[in-house]
Amino acid sequence: MIAALRSELVKLRRRRVLILTALLTLAFSVGSAALIVTSAERTGNPRGRGVTFASLADAGGGTEVFTTAVSFAGTFLFVVFVGAVAVEFSRGTFRTMLLHQPRRLRLLAGKMTGLLLFAAFILAASEALTWLSARLLAPSRGVPTADWISFRALGDAFTDYASVLFWVSGYALLGMTIAVLVRSVPLALGIGIAWAGPVEHILQDAWSPVNRYFPGLLLEAFVAGGTSEVSASRALLTVVVYVGIAVAIAATTFARRDVTG
Amino acid sequence: MTQETAEALRQRYPQEERPPVALVTNGLSKRYGRRLAVDALSIEVPTGVVAGFIGPNGAGKTTTMAMLLGLVRPSAGTATVLGESIEEPATYLSRVGALIEAPSFWPGLTGVQNLRALAVLGGHDESRIPEVLDLVGLDTRGSDRFGEYSFGMKQRLGIAAALLGDPALLVLDEPTNGLDPAGINEMRDFIRSVGDGRRTVLVSSHILSELEQVCDWLIVIDRGSLVYQGPTQGFLGRAGAVVALAPEHLGDLDRLAELARADGHEPHAEGDELIVPVGESDPRRVALALNKAAIAQDIVLAELEVRRPSLESNYLAVVEGRGR
Repeated sequence: MIAALRSELVKLRRRRVLILTALLTLAFSVGSAALIVTSAERTGNPRGRGVTFASLADAGGGTEVFTTAVSFAGTFLFVVFVGAVAVEFSRGTFRTMLLHQPRRLRLLAGKMTGLLLFAAFILAASEALTWLSARLLAPSRGVPTADWISFRALGDAFTDYASVLFWVSGYALLGMTIAVLVRSVPLALGIGIAWAGPVEHILQDAWSPVNRYFPGLLLEAFVAGGTSEVSASRALLTVVVYVGIAVAIAATTFARRDVTG
Repeated sequence: MTQETAEALRQRYPQEERPPVALVTNGLSKRYGRRLAVDALSIEVPTGVVAGFIGPNGAGKTTTMAMLLGLVRPSAGTATVLGESIEEPATYLSRVGALIEAPSFWPGLTGVQNLRALAVLGGHDESRIPEVLDLVGLDTRGSDRFGEYSFGMKQRLGIAAALLGDPALLVLDEPTNGLDPAGINEMRDFIRSVGDGRRTVLVSSHILSELEQVCDWLIVIDRGSLVYQGPTQGFLGRAGAVVALAPEHLGDLDRLAELARADGHEPHAEGDELIVPVGESDPRRVALALNKAAIAQDIVLAELEVRRPSLESNYLAVVEGRGR
């Protein structure tokens, strides 16, 4: 698995990829921090996804901006991981890789670990940039940030980072499963976008109990620290079960399926 | 294995001298729904040969190669590659280099970066990258992105990737695809040089004249079934040489035919030529005798040619004989 992980990093650690990723991360972090801080409200948001002056002023206010910003990018992240795996089938590069690493599960595990490691670095950079941007912008709205530099703030930062990393990993592994099952970029993206975007949210509006069962909504609930319908711990547990089943299906399929074309 | 093939094997490799085989299949089959892509294929490729794998499009060549490489699971049958069962590709693939179907790499990576990713993945020595790029003639284009390569260059990079692990067995599926005539010529020399007896090469191609020049072992399949396997010369010897005569005047064709019959042959006309199969006779002696006889009868020959069987002509005869 280590060889597959290192091989994946060879592909990701290119100047072009690193520069593009750095620019996107910078734009996303600064832009989303500006949007969230300027749209912060004095009273609470009933949907629970906005931020208030009170929560911003808290020790974890700086990294709350980060988690709030990232939570809006769920569909995007899902699509990125679906595409990253499905394209290896469409392009025929899984075939090429299997000729050099025939242990299929190690190959898949190494590839996903490489992608998640890369995502972990991006998230860490994004959290730092978002915090810094929010700290520069918050005084303009009269939000005090003195508590943002404290041990409690550091603890909140680690907790928020871990939550977001889990949330991203959930999307990544569910996306991988769709990609392994359908093996086509357009089809996988179509399913991924439709499910994570309109399907779950339309059904959510129509029938609220789906908040407790649909994986995308559960991931959103988890990263938001829980909602009125489902607690964060229940969302975490349910998502772990879903992801476990999904990974088992993907692993079994990938290990046994013919790789051609 | 056909009776003829078994005989060919016995002749070339008597039991006590038969070299170990690089790969063996026994009743290997692959079914896709109702279509049988490979039908109980039993073949042997001796170690150290350059084996040509030929058959019409859809005959099952690529599927067979994919099964040998662990990419496709057989529906029935068994096979070993370098002495290891194909059920455990990890036990032998580190000693096998392969290019199968179209060359597939990451378009945003350069040639060198693509090879590095695969070298790391396969645990191959990265220091071999310049060497294999040089071997396939891409030494000056290694820093270009794969997406900018021509198809021929992509094919070459595929072969470079196959050579990364200095394999004992090289499996090449249509390696001349997309190459220009000069590239095909280079590929022929390349296959000849890598198949120097130190390693075994299994190569499929639809350009039979190329295989004829480099292969000393042939496997011919059609519609998933084995038609022939054995030494190339054994396959070429299935049809005898012919002598082709073209008289200056077309009206002399019948008289020429009489002369050939008088010499014990059974000629037939093809256009303005008389084709004389020579059977077991020496074709040059037959040509000499017919020329002398024609001169004696005041028949002027515009053309006299000995035509020896080619891989292509034999292959076409076999395939057409099977109802294609």
